[in-house]
Amino acid sequence: MNFGGVLYLGWRYLARNRVKTGLLVAAFALVWLLPAGLALVVGKVEAQLRSRAQGTPLLLGQAGSPLELVFNGLYFTKPQVATLPYGETEAVAESGLGTVIPLYARYSAGGHRIVGTTLDYFDFRGLEIREGRGLVELGECVVGATAAERNGIAPGDAVISTPETLFDLAGVYPLKMRVVGVLAPTGTPDDAALFVDLKTAWIIEGLGHGHEDAESLGEESKLPESPDGAVRLNASVVQYNEITEENAGSFHFHGEIADYPVTAAIVVPGDAKGQALLKGRYGKAGGLQLVSPAGEMDELFDTVFSVQRLVLRLLFAIGLATLAIGALVFLLSNRLRRDEFRHLRHLGADPGTLRALVAFEAAFVVAASLVVGGAGLAVLHLAAPMLVRGWVG
Amino acid sequence: MILCEDLRFSYPGDAFDLRIERFAVAAGETVALVGASGCGKTTLINLISGILTPKSGKVTVDSVELSAEPFAARQRFRIERIGLVPQSFELLDYLTVRENLLVPFRVSSALRLSPGAMARCGELAERAGIAAQLDKFPGQLSQGERQRAALCRGLATSPRLLLADEPTGNLDPDNQDRVVSLLLDEAGRIGATVLMITHDPVLLPRFDRVVDVLALRKGGRA
Repeated sequence: MNFGGVLYLGWRYLARNRVKTGLLVAAFALVWLLPAGLALVVGKVEAQLRSRAQGTPLLLGQAGSPLELVFNGLYFTKPQVATLPYGETEAVAESGLGTVIPLYARYSAGGHRIVGTTLDYFDFRGLEIREGRGLVELGECVVGATAAERNGIAPGDAVISTPETLFDLAGVYPLKMRVVGVLAPTGTPDDAALFVDLKTAWIIEGLGHGHEDAESLGEESKLPESPDGAVRLNASVVQYNEITEENAGSFHFHGEIADYPVTAAIVVPGDAKGQALLKGRYGKAGGLQLVSPAGEMDELFDTVFSVQRLVLRLLFAIGLATLAIGALVFLLSNRLRRDEFRHLRHLGADPGTLRALVAFEAAFVVAASLVVGGAGLAVLHLAAPMLVRGWVG
Repeated sequence: MILCEDLRFSYPGDAFDLRIERFAVAAGETVALVGASGCGKTTLINLISGILTPKSGKVTVDSVELSAEPFAARQRFRIERIGLVPQSFELLDYLTVRENLLVPFRVSSALRLSPGAMARCGELAERAGIAAQLDKFPGQLSQGERQRAALCRGLATSPRLLLADEPTGNLDPDNQDRVVSLLLDEAGRIGATVLMITHDPVLLPRFDRVVDVLALRKGGRA
């Protein structure tokens, strides 16, 4: 057998029929790539979600979907999750059963979630300031590594919260915030978030505000005095949309802080007993829920894996059908080439050479599909973090 | 060069029965095989080339009793000493003309693809008037050019015997003349014996001898 000649003729046949070869390679590559890619992406998502969930003992939130609460509290998605009063988080803290870290993740700036929280959050997540400093004053924000890189933000810059209700004059106004620090990357959703003090988040909400001193205003800015003697101002009064050293003192909150909203609160029980007591207390408490993120992830992935198994079975069946069609293409193609093979025999090719020629062509398509599938898997591996971020939020 | 004695051949399940008492061709002789369609011209050529083996009788080519040799030996003999030119060109459409001329060297381990072989193919193409078409694919050639390419491939191995199965059957008169001239000139150049099937009476005078296969089967000797 002339092995070099077999390789040459086989390669020339495949190259000349490149459309057919390309389609076969692509079809076979998809047979390997789809199930392997699905398993890879699901595995990455699972690892990402589980590691975050396992690092968060309990999450307190308003009654509703526990999964939505987990996604809001851990991954800062689902901003429309029902809120609970801040006072409830204080109650847990005052019970002495654990540490409570309130979170208010409802608004965003430049596509990145603004997370209102306390300094405890940074210690709890082990977040380190890479550049600048941490939160000290109202109106300041610390930016996650990815958010800073993507928007070219550095300490000293400013970010403006995205207006939520553009045509609602009584709605939430954008707040300009000073960037005072950038966090070191962690590979978690914290990288894409903007952290502010809880009170700053409430100012974005419109629960606190700053404006010109009422005492120094003329009569043209005032409405008729109310029966209780309170001074009422009209719309001509300038309301600040940025907290500066000069106007910081004018910012104030109306109503009871305990009634102010938070979307979730991380609860870190002091010990196992504290955890058991907390679970017991909030297990049956009306209006609130205390969930274990790891448990929620177990339930979520039970469902995901059962769907994945179904999809993999379907892909297996589709793969078998594709391989069968591919084999049929080879058989029909070889049947069409019967005259060519007969003439090659006349020209000196022995049956082994012809078998080797056909085997080489089939092996090349299979090998090329493995290479293409492998390359696709490598690309998917590199793109997986982005896909996971896109999916998780 | 060729000696067929008491030759008998039939295809399984077919009424066709070829019987030739004696058929001989001298070395360097050019012979035109004629006869009605289905009389056994192609079968005779395939028996002489060793592609088919007779039921009985002997086929001796170049002093080798080919009909007694096993498949591998017959094939090796054909590769080394016989050039085949089919009627339907049988050029591989995924190879260029140049690559087609070199196919015998690619498929057989008995032949070596040397610079000399490549040079010979170039010279053949030059003389056949298809040098400018060497890097084209068969689909880009005219019928006449394709047949000349097929003839060049048959001659590429410098065979001692050239078997041509109606190589002018698909060609116009001009191309018929050109192909036969090329075939006979090149065969004369390398001293090859030629056995060519044809239906065209115009071409017959150009051969040393004309043999009617039907007459052979009826007990004639040639």
